[in-house]
Amino acid sequence: MNFELLKDTLVSALSQKGIDEYEIYYTSDSDNSVGTLNKEVNTFSSSESGGLCLRLVRDGKMGYASTELMTEGEMRELVERAEQNALATEKPNTVGIYGGGEAYEENRIPEFIPVSTATLRAAAIKSGERLFAKSEKVQLGTESQAVSSGFDIRIVNSHGLDLVCSCGINALVGSAVVMDNGEMQADYALKEFSEDNLDGVIDALATEAVDDALAKIGAGLVPSGKYNIVISGKQMRSLLSVFSSAFSAKAVIDGMSPLVGKIGEAVASDIVTITDDPQREGSSIGLTFDAEGVPTHRREVVASGVLNTFLHNRETAKQMGTKTTANASKASYSSPIGVRPHSFCIEAGDKTREELLGLAGDGIYVTEIKGLHAGANPITGDFSLESAGFMIRGGRLCEAVKSFTVAGNFFELLKSISALGNVIERGVQTGFTAFGSPDALVPDLSVAGK
Amino acid sequence: MNFKCELVRSACDAAYGYSDKIVQAAGNLITVDHTIQIANTEGLFTSDRHVRSRMAVNAIASNGTETQSGSCSPGRGMGLEVFEMFTPDYIGNEAARQAIVNLGASYCPAGQMPVAIESGFGGVIFHEACGHSLEATSVGTGCSQMCGKLGQKIANEKVTAIDDGTIAGAWGSVNIDDEGNPTQRNVLIENGILKSYMIDRLGSRRMGMPMTGNSRRESYRYEPTSRMTNTFIDNGPDKNEDIIASMEYGLYARSMGGGSVNPLTGAFNFSVNEGYIVRNGKICEAVRGAALIGTGSEILQDIDMVGQNLATGQGMCGSSSGSVPTDVGQPLIRVSKITVGGR
Repeated sequence: MNFELLKDTLVSALSQKGIDEYEIYYTSDSDNSVGTLNKEVNTFSSSESGGLCLRLVRDGKMGYASTELMTEGEMRELVERAEQNALATEKPNTVGIYGGGEAYEENRIPEFIPVSTATLRAAAIKSGERLFAKSEKVQLGTESQAVSSGFDIRIVNSHGLDLVCSCGINALVGSAVVMDNGEMQADYALKEFSEDNLDGVIDALATEAVDDALAKIGAGLVPSGKYNIVISGKQMRSLLSVFSSAFSAKAVIDGMSPLVGKIGEAVASDIVTITDDPQREGSSIGLTFDAEGVPTHRREVVASGVLNTFLHNRETAKQMGTKTTANASKASYSSPIGVRPHSFCIEAGDKTREELLGLAGDGIYVTEIKGLHAGANPITGDFSLESAGFMIRGGRLCEAVKSFTVAGNFFELLKSISALGNVIERGVQTGFTAFGSPDALVPDLSVAGK
Repeated sequence: MNFKCELVRSACDAAYGYSDKIVQAAGNLITVDHTIQIANTEGLFTSDRHVRSRMAVNAIASNGTETQSGSCSPGRGMGLEVFEMFTPDYIGNEAARQAIVNLGASYCPAGQMPVAIESGFGGVIFHEACGHSLEATSVGTGCSQMCGKLGQKIANEKVTAIDDGTIAGAWGSVNIDDEGNPTQRNVLIENGILKSYMIDRLGSRRMGMPMTGNSRRESYRYEPTSRMTNTFIDNGPDKNEDIIASMEYGLYARSMGGGSVNPLTGAFNFSVNEGYIVRNGKICEAVRGAALIGTGSEILQDIDMVGQNLATGQGMCGSSSGSVPTDVGQPLIRVSKITVGGR
C-alpha cells in the first residue's frame, strides 16, 4: 500500500469537486496471538487490519466515508460517498477541520518492539505450563494467551497537518481453572511483557491467576444489609471506566450526564483527584495528538474533589464556549469523532491496604464486580452489580464471599470515599484508553445477599 | 438515506411528544447487508446473505432534579419493512414510556424474593444463565457446569428451551452457519431434560458429537466458534394472569437489560430496566435499579411457572468470535426465588 499515492488520488478528486477542507485519517493495526488450552497450543491468529476515513466539509456540513480497500478507484469512490454523506447531514458543522498551529509535547511513550511469533508461542506455552505447575488443583480448561499488537495512525489534513504515531503492546493472559472439594472456580491475570522480562512476568501472572482462583473456593454468602466496603483498585477502575462517559462534554450537552452544571463544584470527596494523562508514566500506548490532530496534555479533571473541566473535542468545546481538551476519539478509523479519556485515573491516596482494612473495621473487600455493561447506568450513576470478595473482620481479611450485589450511585460514592490506597492499579489499554484507581474505602453501601 | 433519517426523526419526535418531561431522545438506525462465502478443503463452496435492520431510541426524562432513561430497540433479519411492524411511533413512545415510569420509581428493595419475568427480552435470563453454558466452546473444553449432563433433568419439567436459526426473518437467523452448515432447530432442553448442546466443527471433534449449525463469527477477522442464534424458552402450561396472582410479595420484571455469566460456575447477573413490586397478586408501584443474580443450575430448577405469550427480544451477543445478532425469548415466567440486588 502506497499511502502517498492514495493521498494524491484523494486530493486530486477532492479538488475536482472544489472541496478544499478535508482530513484523511488512516490506521493500520497488526495483531498476532498464540493461545494454549491445557498446555497445548490451540489458537494462533495473525491479522493486519485497518482502513482510511475521509472527512470533508461540503456546503458547511461534515461528511464521513471510510474504506478498508486501498486502491485508487476506491479513493475516488470515497470522495463521492463522503460528499453524499455531507449532503444528507442536517446539522451545519461549526468547527470544520483542525487548523493546527499549536505545539505538540515530546513523545515519551517507549518505542514499541513487537515480539516474534516464536517468542509468543514460547510465552504462551510457558505460561500454560507455569499455571499447571503452581498447584495440583489446577484443572483442564486452563488457558493462556500471548498477544503482540501494534497500531499506526496517520492524520493528514487540508491545513497542512501531517501527524504520525506508532505504538503497541505485548501482553500475556493466564486464566486458571481450579478444583477443590468438588468445587470449580476460575480467575485470570493480564500483564504486559517484553523480551527482557518475560520469565518474571510469566511467574507473576501464573501466581496471581491461580492464587486468586483458589481464594474463591468455599466462598460463603453474605446477609443483606449495609456494609463498609473496600473496593479493590482493579474493580474501582472498572467502575470509573463505565461512569467516565459522564465526564464527556458530549454527554453533558446531550443531557446524559449527572455532572451537568457542576463545573467548579465539589463532585467527589476532597481526597479524590482524577487526572487524564495521555502519556502517563508506565503506559505503552499514548498519543501526543487526539483524533482531530489537536495536541494532548495532562489534565486534572477533578482536583481535590472539585470538577475542573469536562472532556472536550473541538465541537463540544465550541458549543460550551471553551477550549478543547484534546479528547477527540474514534472507536475505529470509520467511527465519527466522539469524546474519550486517554489515561483516566483516580490518583493514589496515602493508605496501605492494611490501613484501609483497619479503617473499614468490619465490612467487605470487593475483588470482583461483574455485568458492568448492564448493571450500571452512566446516565444516572446508579449501579447494582454482582460481586465477590472477602469479609473484613476487625480490620483483617477473612473468608471468601460470593453471589451478592453491591448497589449505590457512583457519584454519591465518589463523595463518600473516606480513604484511598497508595498504589494505583492501572489497566492495560483497550484501544487508546486506559483507566486506573487505587483501593477505595466507601462506608455504608447496600449489599443484597442471602 | 433521507428515508432512513426520516424514520429515526419521527421515532424521536414520538418520544418528545409522549411527555414534556422527555428532555432528550437519541435514535439510531442500523441496516446491515452482509455477504459471506465459504470454501474449505472438503470441497465445500457456499455463500449466504444476511440482511438485518434495527432501530433504537433512548429517551431521557427529567423532572428538574432527577434524570432517568428508557429505551426500545426492536430489529429483525429483514430490510426496512420491519418498521411497518414496529413503527417509529411505537419505538419512540415505548422508550419514552419507560423513562417516565422510571422517573417516578423508588429504589428496588434488596433481598431474595419470587420474580415474574415478562416475555421478550426477559429471555436474556436463559441466554445468560444457561445458553452460554451449552455452547461447545465451554462444554468441549470442560469449562461448563453442563458437561456430561445430557439426558439428565437440569430444569423444572415446565421448561422446554430451543435454539432455532431457521426462523424466517428473525434477528438471529442465518441460512448457513459460518462454517457452511445449514442452521437447524435444536431442542436444548425438553420438559426439563438436557437434550442437546450447540456445537461447531472444533467442538464436534473435541466432544465426538455432530455439529448443530451453530458456528458463528462477527466477520472474517474472528475465528468461528459455537454461538447461539434465536434461543428461547417455549410456551408452557400456565396462564399469565395466574402467574402474577400467585405472588404474595415479589418483583415483576417487565423489561430486562443485559447481563453476563461465568460459564464455569454458572453465576450470572442481569439488570432490570423496568420493574414493579407485586403485592397480594397485584402489580403495584414501579421500582428501579434492580439486578437479578444467581446461578444457572439453580434458576432452571426454580422456574416453576411458564406462561403462554412467547415473544422475542433482540441482542448483540459478544464472545470470542466477536459480536453477533441473537434473539432471546420466552413467555412470562415465574422464578420461585432469586436474589434481587437493590438498596
